[in-house]
Amino acid sequence: MVEFVDNIVQFAVTLVAGCLSAVFYCRSRKQPYFLLACLYGCFALAGLYWTLYYLLFSETPQIFYVSETGWISGYVFLYLLQFTLSDKEERAFRCPAMWLSPIVGILLAAYYVTYGDVFATILMNTMMILLSWHSIRGLVYWGGQGGEGRNLRHFHLAVICFVTVEYCLWLSSCFWVSDTLTNPYFWFDFMLMGTVVVLLITVKRAVGM
Amino acid sequence: MTYIENIFVCIAAPLLITAVCMGKSHIRFFFFCFAGMGACLLSAYINTFFVAYYDANNFNATVEIAPVVEEIIKLLPLLFYLYIFEPEPEKIKGAVLTVAAGFATFENICYLIQNGAEHLGFLLIRGFGTGAMHIVCGAIIGYGLVYVWQRAWLKVAGTCGLLGAAITYHAVYNMLIAYGGKGQHIAYVLPLLTIAVGITAGKLLAARPK
Repeated sequence: MVEFVDNIVQFAVTLVAGCLSAVFYCRSRKQPYFLLACLYGCFALAGLYWTLYYLLFSETPQIFYVSETGWISGYVFLYLLQFTLSDKEERAFRCPAMWLSPIVGILLAAYYVTYGDVFATILMNTMMILLSWHSIRGLVYWGGQGGEGRNLRHFHLAVICFVTVEYCLWLSSCFWVSDTLTNPYFWFDFMLMGTVVVLLITVKRAVGM
Repeated sequence: MTYIENIFVCIAAPLLITAVCMGKSHIRFFFFCFAGMGACLLSAYINTFFVAYYDANNFNATVEIAPVVEEIIKLLPLLFYLYIFEPEPEKIKGAVLTVAAGFATFENICYLIQNGAEHLGFLLIRGFGTGAMHIVCGAIIGYGLVYVWQRAWLKVAGTCGLLGAAITYHAVYNMLIAYGGKGQHIAYVLPLLTIAVGITAGKLLAARPK
């Protein structure tokens, strides 16, 4: 029951955030809102598929990667959003802290493959490494600056939170406790929804109307 | 057993002759129509392969394998067109929608051959529903491609993202169909509703000053 409520809430949150992003795009015609709408759209569709499957057939998809495709597409759009919000100087910037991203990502991927599917794990972790690589770089690059820099710093911080919560979510799914709220998996899933909403707020601050 | 390739030949032959008679100005339409039908044929083979590989049943094939395979195969002729001919953005939409229509038409014909054509009412609803679903998936990719192919750095990642969105939409539709009952009715209405919303949103956007 908790899993069903969790999935429904996740779908509703991403759907509302997607509609809001689409409205912002229609009003401002700014590219980041288009990418954000695509991101939420993919998450909402993947969530809808997963929820419906669970609701109608009382099990989760076993054979092929349909929901995973939707989630990975969402990550791709988030990556494109990071690219859009960065400038040439930021992209050329390098700092040692960025290497934290592949180190953590590869270590966790090596652990996840012992539990889950190899192909999906590699794909998902690659996207997480890319996202965190760009956000750590952005966070260091815009560090200590006010105005626009501060807004972009908040956006990069939101992406780092998103990636961290995703890692924790996958880790907690390896140790399934129960189908009740005592299971840390559900805590992380609700936190993930929070970070997804924060993404919209930080992008709105960074881009304006 | 359905001899799907024989059906393809029977449908393609008169269209091919028509294409030759109508001249160069209409060749693009027929080319994409054939591409759509060819994609349907190819995805039927690949679906069968994956069903055997994963030892999947009919339900798994419909809900989990077919959406992924069909959307990827449908995209291939378009990628060929985009990379080789580098068309104007306006031509992309037409190409994607024609491929989708060709795919949906061929799929409907195969469905009729396998399941009979006695119930006109049901077939009418199914025809519109499935046709509209393929058009919606085509529109997701087509309208998105127009946007992402104008920016070099968006091309690959953007196309993958759009493909993912189309696959998930297709999978949700197939799942509701596989469930049957009220789910099936919702599935047939869903793409028509999406098209209506899309057209309305498009008109509203066009009416707004840039």
